[in-house]
Amino acid sequence: MFQSLIENNKSRTQIQIMAQYLSTSFIISTIEDEYLVNIEKGIVTKVQKGPFVMPSYIFKLTASKNEWLKFLQATPLPGSHDIIAMLRRKVLKFEGNLHPLMSHLLYFKLLLASLRPLESKKSED
Amino acid sequence: MKIEKEPITGQYGKFNIDGVPHRIYWEEAGEGIPLVCLHTAGSDGRQYRALLNDKKLLKKFRVIVFDMPWHGKSSPPENSQVGHYKLSTESYISQIMGFIDGLNLIKPVVMGCSIGGRIILHLAIHFPEKFRALIGLQSAGHIDPYYDISWLHRQDVHGGEVCGGIAYGLMAPTSPDNDKFETMWHYMQGGPGIFKGDLFFYKFDGNIGNEIKKIDNSICPIYLLTGEYDYSATPEETKYLADTIGIEMIKMKNMGHFPMSENPKEFLKYLHPVLKKIN
Repeated sequence: MFQSLIENNKSRTQIQIMAQYLSTSFIISTIEDEYLVNIEKGIVTKVQKGPFVMPSYIFKLTASKNEWLKFLQATPLPGSHDIIAMLRRKVLKFEGNLHPLMSHLLYFKLLLASLRPLESKKSED
Repeated sequence: MKIEKEPITGQYGKFNIDGVPHRIYWEEAGEGIPLVCLHTAGSDGRQYRALLNDKKLLKKFRVIVFDMPWHGKSSPPENSQVGHYKLSTESYISQIMGFIDGLNLIKPVVMGCSIGGRIILHLAIHFPEKFRALIGLQSAGHIDPYYDISWLHRQDVHGGEVCGGIAYGLMAPTSPDNDKFETMWHYMQGGPGIFKGDLFFYKFDGNIGNEIKKIDNSICPIYLLTGEYDYSATPEETKYLADTIGIEMIKMKNMGHFPMSENPKEFLKYLHPVLKKIN
């Protein structure tokens, strides 16, 4: 579901510049599945799908698979169009050290949104 | 190539707010009924650039937009310090009434968005006879904190980047990219701690509570319009206000928290019929 965060790297030169000093790792959780994402200087270098025994990460974003699918629609509905909107509806949880996320908030929003057209096609399959 | 001039004029002026001298910047265009527009938290009057350029609107309304103290081109008052700014209900009302009285505007229409959409409710409660009409964009009676606003002003996070990131998500994905970018850019240009200081009013001090029941729509007509993508002041929250006041709300499709700035072309389609009723 989130593997293409790495596949899309080449199309992300515009947003990579927004995180050129950021190296971190975070987990995207759908509750059933977990994805460990590594970022180096704003570039997604690795995406691993769990389960993990001892994952090392800085922060974690958890929402149900259904909520992530709604977020990933090409044109998401109100309340599903933004991670803070999902936080407001209490369907997404931010955990861990949030400094990398909040100091690069727009970057992470655009990074996740970059999956939209691709994932919306997949979700229709 | 000749410069294509816009009909807007900008001006600075000095007046006291709560007894303290302030230097304020405002822009205006058009002739007719004064329409004073209030920008959102952490931004400035540029949010109303499309209204200030709308020929149809300017034929009947004198559109006036001031930057709040600490915002846009308006100065902080003397002896200010970084990190001490907090907007209170009292001072927000004082700056609006001071500006209106200072320009000798008789029975203006006041339209505010977000914090501006909240303060017009306070104006409706305390000074209904002073206005021809009040228009609330993205109005809600209170907003419970749903994220930790301390992130908006910390020395280890770039304030412009985080405020821009917050503002970006409040817009509809369907709004035009250029207008979304400009709306976000205004947030990126705000001073340290100003957005957070405005949210003190929005999330705490300015909560309207049961006072909303004091609003008498027969003294001063109120109009409430809210974009469907706004998750800060949601359409449901505006509807609650409208039901309590006894009016209809207008839910605007494909718009978020900044309708006049993120999608002005569509917003004007909703605004013109409202202004026609007022006129």
